[in-house]
Amino acid sequence: MALINVRNLEKEFYKADKSVVEVLRNINFTVNKGECFVIIGPNGSGKTTLLRIIGLLDFPTQGQILFHKKDLAKLARKEKVIFRRKFSFVRQKPVVRDATVFNNIAYGLKVRGVKYDNYSKIVKDLIEFIGLKGMEDKNARSLSGGEMQRVAIAMNFIINPEVYLLDEVSANLDPMNLKLLEEFIMKIKQDNEKTIIMSTHDPLEAIKYADRIAVLNNGQIIQIGTPNDVFTTPKDEFTALFVGYENILHGIAKLDSKTGLSQIQVNKLTITASSQQEGEVKVCIRPESIGIVKEPAKETSYRNTFRGLIENIRELGNICHLIVRCQSEKFLVTITELSRKNLGLDINSEVFINFKATDVKIL
Amino acid sequence: MSNEIIDGILEGLRLIFKFDPEVWGIIEVSFRVSLTSTFLAALVALPIGSFIGLRKFKGKKEVTNLINTFMGFPPVVMGLVVYLLLSRNGPLGDLGLLYSTTAMIIAQFLLAVPIIMGTAKAAIESVDPALKETVLSLGANERQLWWELIKNSKKSIIAGFLVAFGQAISEVGAVMIVGGNIRWETRTFTTSIVLETRMGEFGMAIALGIILISIAFIVNYGLTRLQTRVL
Repeated sequence: MALINVRNLEKEFYKADKSVVEVLRNINFTVNKGECFVIIGPNGSGKTTLLRIIGLLDFPTQGQILFHKKDLAKLARKEKVIFRRKFSFVRQKPVVRDATVFNNIAYGLKVRGVKYDNYSKIVKDLIEFIGLKGMEDKNARSLSGGEMQRVAIAMNFIINPEVYLLDEVSANLDPMNLKLLEEFIMKIKQDNEKTIIMSTHDPLEAIKYADRIAVLNNGQIIQIGTPNDVFTTPKDEFTALFVGYENILHGIAKLDSKTGLSQIQVNKLTITASSQQEGEVKVCIRPESIGIVKEPAKETSYRNTFRGLIENIRELGNICHLIVRCQSEKFLVTITELSRKNLGLDINSEVFINFKATDVKIL
Repeated sequence: MSNEIIDGILEGLRLIFKFDPEVWGIIEVSFRVSLTSTFLAALVALPIGSFIGLRKFKGKKEVTNLINTFMGFPPVVMGLVVYLLLSRNGPLGDLGLLYSTTAMIIAQFLLAVPIIMGTAKAAIESVDPALKETVLSLGANERQLWWELIKNSKKSIIAGFLVAFGQAISEVGAVMIVGGNIRWETRTFTTSIVLETRMGEFGMAIALGIILISIAFIVNYGLTRLQTRVL
């Protein structure tokens, strides 16, 4: 059941020189009750603006946001408070009030008119849960960064709203706070009455929490789908790059009638893909789907094997990125540092890379 | 000449520490008038100023310009305006307030209102927007947000109050015109310094000058403390 319905949403900002910046363009999506809807996109794509508009902290230039049959873009001042109280907005950078830990966490309940006797126990329990017992009467602004974040998380979760808006909340969190946040989010996800809309630039986080993902780039939604949809069949080059297909080549596809597979001519390379597309295409291959060997295997299930030279090596702890040049094309390959050593791979080593036709995504 | 100065200072100190009734009468009038006017101005200007700071509305820029203009309104001109209003033939002449402390309070009140209003507005506007949004998103209504912002900008608001008070107590033009500098009644620090200097009574003038400077010092000390210390 659709809980929030965003239609043709646009947002423009005026810069100091009066020029107009379009931050959001033609945004359309619905969020269902009980769903975890993740908006994924790079910095500056408009994620925060979108969440702020839904959370009634900003207003759209055009468009509708239907929630409980009301258009959030057209609320009177007094109604705004009523609707804002159905949301909780957790910011990337936490801000606490100049008050004690207890009063900060209790604030959301206090402004809703809950009496002290009714909330004091809940607040105390929550303070214990976030590991700040004994600090109730400390000023929240005197806490360390990590403790302050925990207070900020607790402040927003105690409200128990219908919809949680989480704006890149896991960015800048230390492992302990990350775990705490995860516990909170998982708890909310179990409750089918609660809806989460979160933004992130981390594809892995999106996979972890999302029921559905919307990919936002440059103020436009490029794709909406289940994590599997988005990660396995990205709709365009940007999405593919963003969610992790880092090898993207341009070529001309022809259908091979004998095998029923596409043969894609990428300059001098011919790549086989399990697709039936023809014409100009983009070929996407994940770096971790590419195998690397010193001698080509005689019998192999890999349909694609190319000879190349290692041009560059980037060591990233346990794994390393190899840049392999095959003819005119470069491939990014990730392997473990251990297997690189075992294979004795170095810059200018001659190698063979191979990958399955099914690991080649055609856009 | 140098003797005159030394004699004046000695006479001034003697007057202060002998609790000369006239000196203390002047102190009493000055404080009563300036404190009352500043408090009344705060009562009016704080809610309005903070409200202007809180809301966005059409014409806010113009209102801001107006407040800023009045913040630097020349006291002498304000004295003239109030004089014209209260003089026998003026629109409020029937009240018979001219040459009373009430008239002085009115003039200083009008001078203090824009100062307190302007600083309150600026103080509210300078609160971290992230805090405003956090408070809003936690469910605060406008009144609750307003109170939160006031609490967060209390330093600047108190500073505005002190500036207004400092300006009121050291102002001379307006109180001279509407108060009339009547001995025992409407004579303040500033007006009597003018008078005594003209009459060559430097002792009295210096005594009052010392007190006035001390007040200025205390007010400024308070301001500095405010800015460097967490309330």
